[in-house]
Amino acid sequence: MSSSSTLRELQRDLENKANDLSKLQKDVAKNHQLRKKCTIQLGENELVLKELELLKEDANVYKLIGPILVKQDLAEARANVRKRIEYISAELKRLDAILQDLEDEQRSKQETVLKLQQRVQSLQAGKGKAQ
Amino acid sequence: MAEGLKKKGTVKSLSSLFPPEETQKASERVRDTIAERHEELQQLKSFISDNTNLVNLVRTLPNELNHQIMVPFGKAAFFPGQLIHTNEFMVLLGDGYYAERTSKQTVEILKRRGNILESQVESLKADIQDLKTEASFFENEAGRKDLVEIVEDYEEESSLQEVSKAGDSKADFASSTEAESKGTGNEGDEYARIFSRIAELEKEEEEAEKDEDDEDEENEDDIDHSVNQDSVDQESISCGVDGSKLLPVYQDGSSQDGTPASSKPRFTESSIKPPVRKENVRAPAVTKEEVFVRTSEPSTNSSKAFTGSIVEHTRNLETNPREPSVAHSSKPVSRFRMNRK
Repeated sequence: MSSSSTLRELQRDLENKANDLSKLQKDVAKNHQLRKKCTIQLGENELVLKELELLKEDANVYKLIGPILVKQDLAEARANVRKRIEYISAELKRLDAILQDLEDEQRSKQETVLKLQQRVQSLQAGKGKAQ
Repeated sequence: MAEGLKKKGTVKSLSSLFPPEETQKASERVRDTIAERHEELQQLKSFISDNTNLVNLVRTLPNELNHQIMVPFGKAAFFPGQLIHTNEFMVLLGDGYYAERTSKQTVEILKRRGNILESQVESLKADIQDLKTEASFFENEAGRKDLVEIVEDYEEESSLQEVSKAGDSKADFASSTEAESKGTGNEGDEYARIFSRIAELEKEEEEAEKDEDDEDEENEDDIDHSVNQDSVDQESISCGVDGSKLLPVYQDGSSQDGTPASSKPRFTESSIKPPVRKENVRAPAVTKEEVFVRTSEPSTNSSKAFTGSIVEHTRNLETNPREPSVAHSSKPVSRFRMNRK
């Protein structure tokens, strides 16, 4: 009798843990996506910076703001892009840290779930034998 | 799945079986990824062709002072017009930045972009190549029944001696569990296990060699193949005949529901070569022949095999430690689990 109740408890526990795990996995996936976006943006900005560096000082540079092209100083544009790259890199680093944490957590959760599963299975097996 | 050897409990040979569905799933996933990559590749290629078209256009535009064109007006309407200033381009550099450029300068920018695209294509191709090798593993190796997966505790090396002394009685049992373990798996894990196991056994093998020279000769090839990932196929070929017949036997063996056919050979084998303790770990002794091959493998500590295993050894050691987490359950438990699956 008690064994069956503990079994049920274990199963409930397992379910909860599994739910947590799946939530975590979703988080991780979301973060991965965000990170991917950031990486793409970073690449684009690096490209822009490279091209801007290649321009001569007297070149006309415009920035598209809403529907209009606004003329910009080349030096200013370069500074802006550089700042943006800095920002994105920092963001990327932050995301990496978050991702790392999440993945660690995920791994530990996975382990606990696995252990629970084993326990449930062994309990069930024991019960089956008894009957 | 797990087996605690009776000896001291410190030694466990853990073997796990990856059910065929899992392998199938894995190979499917890999194939999906490959398809995805191919799509990406296709996209990149279309970008490249767009780019080259654009380069050609930009190059030819300044050839004339002006061009007669149809100017799009709204979605559906066009009206005739003229392109003037044919050597002035407003180039989007990305992220909302535009620069005024001449035709020549624009072509330079476009070419740089083309180069980036090319490098992306290259990396993507390499990626696809990698994935293909992975897929071929799942298709060729993972489903095969005549490969063993050997999972062990990292610490075993020290405790190995005890085991070898431990002797044959356990060997039967171990070998039978081993049979379950064979087959599918993560390529990395599987090979890692095999290799690390081989390495661990080297000491013993030398011993065993003395006893079993004749067998060694036959089976040297096998070891080499297993050591070398690429050539594993060949190994399978050599045992392939047995394997196909053995399929049912394996299943029996794994469940260990008293399959006389499979168990008998095992016993005989083990009794034949007491000194070779490795067979437990290595061998999925199912039929006599199978056993034969398997057991001899470890013992074939010919120098060739030896060196081969050394190469891979360090890598395996790294991967190994995580195996133990899989399970150290007592034997009965492991059987239940197998049944369940």
